[in-house]
Amino acid sequence: MTLPYEAQREIELFLLREAKLLDTGDFESWLALYEPQGVYWMPSQPGQSDAKTVASIIYEDHAILAIRVRRLLDARALVLTPMPRTTHLISNIEVTNSAGDEATAEAAFICVEHQGDQRHLYTGRQIHQLVRHNGSFRISLKRVDLVDCDGRHVPMTIPI
Amino acid sequence: MTVVTNHPPSNDEIRTLVRPEHVHRRAYADPEIFAIEQERIFGRLWLYVAHDSQLRHPGDFVRTRLAQHEVMVTRNQDGKIYVLHNRCPHRGARLCMVDRGSSRLFTCPYHAWVFRPDGSLSAVPHPQSYPANFSVADPENHIQRVKNVDSYRGFVFANLSDSPSPLVEFLGPMRDVIDNLIERAPDGEIEIADSTFTLEYHGNWKLHMENANDVFHPSFVHSSSVAPARAAAGNASILDQDQTREMLLANGFSQTDWEGIQLTGLPGGHTFMTSFYKKGVLVHEQQDPVIQRYHAALEQRLGSERTVEVLEMNRFNNIIYPNLLINAQHQQMRITVPLSVDLTLVHVHCFRLKGAPEEMFHRAIRFLTTLGSPASMIFSDDVEMLERCQQGLAKQAGPWINIARGFDKDRRDSNGSIGGAASELPMRVQFEAWVNYLTQ
Repeated sequence: MTLPYEAQREIELFLLREAKLLDTGDFESWLALYEPQGVYWMPSQPGQSDAKTVASIIYEDHAILAIRVRRLLDARALVLTPMPRTTHLISNIEVTNSAGDEATAEAAFICVEHQGDQRHLYTGRQIHQLVRHNGSFRISLKRVDLVDCDGRHVPMTIPI
Repeated sequence: MTVVTNHPPSNDEIRTLVRPEHVHRRAYADPEIFAIEQERIFGRLWLYVAHDSQLRHPGDFVRTRLAQHEVMVTRNQDGKIYVLHNRCPHRGARLCMVDRGSSRLFTCPYHAWVFRPDGSLSAVPHPQSYPANFSVADPENHIQRVKNVDSYRGFVFANLSDSPSPLVEFLGPMRDVIDNLIERAPDGEIEIADSTFTLEYHGNWKLHMENANDVFHPSFVHSSSVAPARAAAGNASILDQDQTREMLLANGFSQTDWEGIQLTGLPGGHTFMTSFYKKGVLVHEQQDPVIQRYHAALEQRLGSERTVEVLEMNRFNNIIYPNLLINAQHQQMRITVPLSVDLTLVHVHCFRLKGAPEEMFHRAIRFLTTLGSPASMIFSDDVEMLERCQQGLAKQAGPWINIARGFDKDRRDSNGSIGGAASELPMRVQFEAWVNYLTQ
């Protein structure tokens, strides 16, 4: 499927905006990108199709994400001291579906997280399901598939 | 970090590391001590290696760690379970490169020696090129077996020592928690979920086992998730009947919530604590439709009186020394795997209660996600503290740490000891056992 350049570009810019909000620590504006019942899903197994019978690294809707965001912003979570900083790179963006008010975009990502003297690298693919809202989009589902989702991990802090 | 010592510590030296109310930093930070722990604790005690439900059919196997070894736990054609060192006896190559699977035979990819699931050598290619005295029946040509393998109601343990005490004796009263987990299943059978997390932390393995029975820390360590959970509206999530929020809230208990919480220590280092989860889908008193169906199913097998008894066993983290942690009430299990003195893995699992409504399993999975995930808003803060402890203990200064809280209030008899919620009794019990094991 080939979208007109403008339509493809609009979705790309939306994804880049999300990445920038995470990198600049504006988690409240990041949360506002989600539908009131929007879901952030990071599976724990490659190709995982179900979040009920297989645990997820994160499987949270807006209400639980709001708690996560408050923890990032207000509370001095121990694991967030010193506050980590991230660089999210989004690439290979492909709009795989666009019909009416809905669109689906797939992309590859690299996220480097720096905290104190530690550096962690996260990489994989992400899928956004977007819904048209007020001249832009909102996220109804973001799925983040870490390439090593089933591997061993250190604590994760800022969403990818 | 390294600590320079000139010799392996003697038994007398080890005894000086633990006082009734204090522990020396070397217990956590000295690689020599770690080596002795591997030899005398992980090399001599029964260690959990697999669950029966992972080994249903002949040829099924899991790969795991046993002390400093990597092993395959296999189900042989005759139904017997074997624990095999993951190494080909021919040239020493690591054989199994996946965490689980099923295979009638194991073939080393190097020179194609073929083994049965019991470790015996089935065949070698071009046998005429081997000397006349070479025999596939010679045990030297078999994958090395761990001699002692036993299971208790589906929980498979292995033991590296020559003549260990029987597994049931080692487990002692901790069998209760395994019994209870199984009894909670309406069909009387449980199954380990094909869903697990592995967390890595830069700290000594004991720190995690101590933290798991430390009821004092949650109010402080988890305050950054308690406060936003308190501020959030109830039942706002569409995903989990508020289970996640209730789990976060549960760590915010006040001193009055401590009343009735009890810590128990048993000879041998096993410890457990009573639950502090008191709300929502986390407790059996909850009368939502799922729990009602679950109770009805359980009552069919057990009758109403026994059902209440089973569900009332209200224990949270049950630690089977040295490294197994079971939470029957929420069908959770953790295994702590020491890699080095300051590097540890935690494997987190959950179980399905067979015959229970499917939604009960969804709740166990939700529990696993909320508490056991590397992105957990709870466990990540625990891990942070374990690492900070190690960072502090790695420094030579101020060699003693304090484990005295509740010391003068513990009650003790021949069956073990009991302390209140605020007590550091589990640490004292674990260290008493630790010294005994290390100096035997």
